Amino acid sequence: MYILKLLSTSIKSNLQHDLAYRADLIVNLVLSLIGLGSDLFGLSIIYANTNDIGGWGPSELIILLGVWRLVNVLMNMIIWPNTFNFNMSVHDGSLDYTLLLPVNSQLLISTKRIVIWHLFDFVIAIGLIIIGLAHNTGITSPLQIVAFLGLTLSGTTIIYSLWITLISLTFWFTKFGNSIVIMSAVLDAGRYPAHVYPFWLRALMTFVVPVAVATTVPLQALRGELQWWQAIGFLGIGLIAVWLSSRAWIAGLRRYSGASS
Amino acid sequence: MFAIYKQMWLVNWAEQWQYRANLLMYLAFWLVSPIVYLAVWTTIASAQGNINGLTAPDFVAYYMMLLIVDIATSDITIHIFAYKIMDGSLSNELVLPIHPVLQKVLVNNLAFKALQMLALVPIWLILYVLYQPVFSITAVNVLLAIPAIAFGFLLQFFAGTTITCISFWTTRAWSISDFYSNIFRLMAGQFVPLALLPAFMQTASQLLPFRLALYFPVQLLLGKLSIEETMLNIGLQMVWCVILFMLFRVVWRTGLKKYSAVGA
Repeated sequence: MYILKLLSTSIKSNLQHDLAYRADLIVNLVLSLIGLGSDLFGLSIIYANTNDIGGWGPSELIILLGVWRLVNVLMNMIIWPNTFNFNMSVHDGSLDYTLLLPVNSQLLISTKRIVIWHLFDFVIAIGLIIIGLAHNTGITSPLQIVAFLGLTLSGTTIIYSLWITLISLTFWFTKFGNSIVIMSAVLDAGRYPAHVYPFWLRALMTFVVPVAVATTVPLQALRGELQWWQAIGFLGIGLIAVWLSSRAWIAGLRRYSGASS
Repeated sequence: MFAIYKQMWLVNWAEQWQYRANLLMYLAFWLVSPIVYLAVWTTIASAQGNINGLTAPDFVAYYMMLLIVDIATSDITIHIFAYKIMDGSLSNELVLPIHPVLQKVLVNNLAFKALQMLALVPIWLILYVLYQPVFSITAVNVLLAIPAIAFGFLLQFFAGTTITCISFWTTRAWSISDFYSNIFRLMAGQFVPLALLPAFMQTASQLLPFRLALYFPVQLLLGKLSIEETMLNIGLQMVWCVILFMLFRVVWRTGLKKYSAVGA
């Protein structure tokens, strides 16, 4: 229960922060629409020249774009801004004050800064998924949609867990704060189905930065290409990732000794 | 004059080496997206034989060349200079007898580029073995590509510095820079060779300067352009460089006046 309370407090204070820059809000929304335009335009250029990419049609690529944008909302709304805060607080020792508070520290550092206006991008992403689903004719059973939604959720959670693990490593290697850049570079590959990529890139985006697990895998479930045990397996990996990352965070905290000592 | 550049190069080169791990990470940004587009377009091209006459090997050669030219002509001014205007550390540089942008940022840019190129070489060679692109490179084209790439970089450098100088007035220079990269991706040939764009976009891309900084040097190196076309484009590059340089001077001077007003 206190998690919800904490979240709503954080959202409230961040909303106040963001409302102080109302002109920025308009600029950001316009830029976000331009970004959407250029993404859709890119897809239209591709489909003007072909009927499918590796067997996937336009409606599937639109759903994939929606799921990929969902992961990006997580990146832009929470991961990027909080990484910046976190790195600073490890360098200057202000993390002490966060740790002194009687609440879950992992939750606190992941929600300290929430860039509220990215909710707009969230709505766009959900909109793309719904439009794509409405135009998709390949769905034969509601179970496919359930699996798709479940895997999208667990895939996004895996990306979050990877982030927690990476920033926990900062306690051992201070310079690791920048590893997030790699994450975001590989993320770009999630726009298109993973099976069009060469083997090494596919391996990179499955095992190192599992963006394919968050984007391509849910779509495969939707296309009915996954066996039930595979779907369960990916969901299980999601749970294990959450558990492992929270262990890494706790282990990291044990190493942290404050800036002065 | 030359001695200043030389000394600054030495300092910058040494500075950049300190951050070599970071350099590799930023390199990933330049690497992933061309490889993604390479994969997407070669998949489509090999599924249907060709796209508008371009075959899979054509796309491979195009993006492999683009990897090099993109790093050579890109500009990082906003990343290394915008914060100095915003947090006021620019003041420290203004008292030095060195131009903060035309000397310091420029050399910083070049040193960063040189190291990125060094890191690119082994990766590019691995990609070469994996994809086996077929190039038809002639000595004349390579010679012509030297000014084409140099002007392509200057063009982006003056565009980037002008955008960065907007920070004198507003904190939104970053958003404008994002907008620039979005347009650049489509209009300079990062996403797809410009010949595959719809007709009206092709016309627009011909008129706009973006293609001069990327698509033109790539096509030149791939041997797709005649001498006349090349000379015309290099001429256009020079014109745009002068226009953007003048624009930068105006924005820089008026911006500086605004800046000192803040400090007073």
